[in-house]
Amino acid sequence: MTTESIAAGGDPRRLLSDIRSLAHQVRLDQRMTWVALLVLGVVTLVGIPFDWLGMTVHCHPDTSCEFARRGVLFYWPPALLLAYTAIAVCYVRAARSRGLGARALPYAIAGAATTVVFTAAWVAAALYFPHHPLPHQPLPYWWLLLDRLVSPWGMIGIALVVLARIERNVGLRLFTLAYLAPVLLVLPTNEGWGLAGWGLQARFAAPQVVSGALLLLGAAGFFRAARRRQR
Amino acid sequence: MTATIGTPDPGPGHPVTGLDEVVHQRARLGILTIAHEAHRVEFGYLRTHLELTAGNLSKHLSVLETAGLIEIQKGYEGRRGRTWITLTAAGATALADEIARLKQLIARVETTN
Repeated sequence: MTTESIAAGGDPRRLLSDIRSLAHQVRLDQRMTWVALLVLGVVTLVGIPFDWLGMTVHCHPDTSCEFARRGVLFYWPPALLLAYTAIAVCYVRAARSRGLGARALPYAIAGAATTVVFTAAWVAAALYFPHHPLPHQPLPYWWLLLDRLVSPWGMIGIALVVLARIERNVGLRLFTLAYLAPVLLVLPTNEGWGLAGWGLQARFAAPQVVSGALLLLGAAGFFRAARRRQR
Repeated sequence: MTATIGTPDPGPGHPVTGLDEVVHQRARLGILTIAHEAHRVEFGYLRTHLELTAGNLSKHLSVLETAGLIEIQKGYEGRRGRTWITLTAAGATALADEIARLKQLIARVETTN
C-alpha cells in the first residue's frame, strides 16, 4: 500500500473494508487465547489434589456424610489471582514483542472480580451452613445452577466470556459456550460424580478432571489455529 | 479538501463535504485504525502491515502528529530503538467521524443508485 497507489478519494466501500480487515488483523495479532486456556486448565488440574487432601468428611451411622471442601477455599483464590496475573503478563509481553499494545487489563479485572465473587460466596456458605439447617432436599434446579456458577470452574467460564468479548473472538465465544454448558448443566461439581464405590474425594475429582481436560483441549485447538495462521 | 469520491457536485450537507483531508487518506486512515485497535503500535508493525517505506510512513506520521491526532514516543528496548504511536482523543474522534462519513457516503450512493 503506497501513497501513490492509494488516491485520497478511494472507493469508500473499499476504504471501509480495508479498515475492517486491518482492525481484524490487529485483534488476531493481540490474541494469546491458547495461553489463557492452558494456564486455567493447568490450574484446574493442579487444584484437584488440594481439594482431595483438604476435604474433611464426617460420616454418621445412618450412612449420611457431612463434608467441607477446605482445599477449594484455600487453593483457588490465590491460584486464580496468580493465573489471571500470569495470563495478563503473557498477553502484554506477546503483544509488545509484536509491536502492539494489549487489551489484557479488562480481562485481568474481570478475573479478579470473579475470584472475589467465588471466594465471598464460598466463605459465606462455610460460615452459614454449620450453624443453620440445610435447605430442603431436593434443592431447586436454579439453586444448583447458581451453586455451580459461583464455583471456580463456573467463574472461569464467566471470565472467558469477558475475554471473548474483549477480543471479539467468535471462536472463543463458541468454546466458552461449549465449556460452560457441561460445567453448569451436566457436571455436578458441587455434588460429586462417579461410579458406585468411589470415595467422596474421587467423586468430587471427576468433574474437575473433565473441566480441566476441556480447557486443555481448547488450549491445544487455539494453539493449532494460531500456528496455522502464522504459516 | 480532497472530495474526489466520484459523486457529482456535492451539495451542502453532503457527506463528502465533511471528509477531513488529513484523515481521508488510506495510509493515514490505516495508521489511525491500527493505533485505535491496538491502543499503541510500534513503527515497524505499521510499516509491515501498511506496506509503506520508512520514509513514507514517517511523513504520514508527521502529518498526523502535527494535526494532534497521534502522539509519538521514541525510546529504547535494550539497544534497539523503538518508536511507539498512540492515538489521541482527537484522533479517536476524527477516526470515528471519518468512518461515519464513509458509511453515510455509501448509503447516499446506494440511495442514488
